[in-house]
Amino acid sequence: MIRSGLYILLIGVFVMGSARLIPPLISTANAITAEEMLADPLLENRARNLSQKLRCLVCQNQSIDDSDADLAKDLRREVRAQLVQGKTDEAILSDLRAKYGDFVLLAPPLAKNTMALWLAPIGFLLLGIAITLGVRRRASATAPSPISQAERAQIEALKQQHKTARTCDQP
Amino acid sequence: MSRFRPTFFIPLIAFLGLVMIGGLALQGTLSGSRNPNQLPSVLIGKPAPDVPLPLLQNNQAELALDAYRGQPLLVNFFASWCAPCRAEAPALEHLSKQISIIGIAYKDRPQDTRKFLQQYGNPFVAIGRDDDGRAGMAWGVYGVPETYLIAPSGQIKWRHAGPLTRDVITTQLLAKLAEMQ
Repeated sequence: MIRSGLYILLIGVFVMGSARLIPPLISTANAITAEEMLADPLLENRARNLSQKLRCLVCQNQSIDDSDADLAKDLRREVRAQLVQGKTDEAILSDLRAKYGDFVLLAPPLAKNTMALWLAPIGFLLLGIAITLGVRRRASATAPSPISQAERAQIEALKQQHKTARTCDQP
Repeated sequence: MSRFRPTFFIPLIAFLGLVMIGGLALQGTLSGSRNPNQLPSVLIGKPAPDVPLPLLQNNQAELALDAYRGQPLLVNFFASWCAPCRAEAPALEHLSKQISIIGIAYKDRPQDTRKFLQQYGNPFVAIGRDDDGRAGMAWGVYGVPETYLIAPSGQIKWRHAGPLTRDVITTQLLAKLAEMQ
């Protein structure tokens, strides 16, 4: 029964992982080509960082940094063009959100309709803790109480009886 | 230990719940009412983006959507390299009898676009050239073909990603159009 609590914890971690609330363990190769990169390493770094947060709407489960799709390439170019114009990271993200919707962000923003998604992992965590604690408490409550003096005497009597029965059997 | 324990059934009930959710989603997908590839457009109810585009017929002139205000309008993103665009060509031809359609050639070469129109017909009142896909980005296009219905006021009323099928036209497009008139 403690195991079931652990399973629920695992499910919570899985849900968080699939919602990209925690970084993926395996990073796929990125699709960016040398000629796309910006000369300024600082801007390029920001571009890479932004690209990893943006969804490729063609493949849908890859970031535009990972995707080889044509649209991903266009979006990478757009992000870099806007960076060169001097836009802030937030301004670029909100510009793309205005065109493609919240879905373009790999991590969904915390809003009324995403509340369940964001709170579910915490809910699972609490549920797991509650079940684990409940199981442990019940286990300690139902632990056998030490045997009393009268019970001990009864056992001795039974043992004695058993022994005599066995000796009688022998020829 | 033969006592009836209701907690015993919790995993079973949770599992049945999951099966039900999956079943409903699958049923929606199979019946066509739910399509995971159809992303909702955030531009519904917003004015159509105003990205200046050169006309296919004449480089020097620009496509002006404003000129078509006061009537419902279809805007169709297409490309000669897109197979579903060929499939929906007859549907657009048919629709062009009841509504003006603007074509936007998405990431295409003008000579290829012209050849495509010769081969599959030209249902468009005007064709803009979106050579680098920048206009498509402003409209939230994520694949061709995509079709937008614009109200006489210039507001986007409806968007369909993918080819226009008979079903999409009758149950969605024509219904929206009737709503408008």
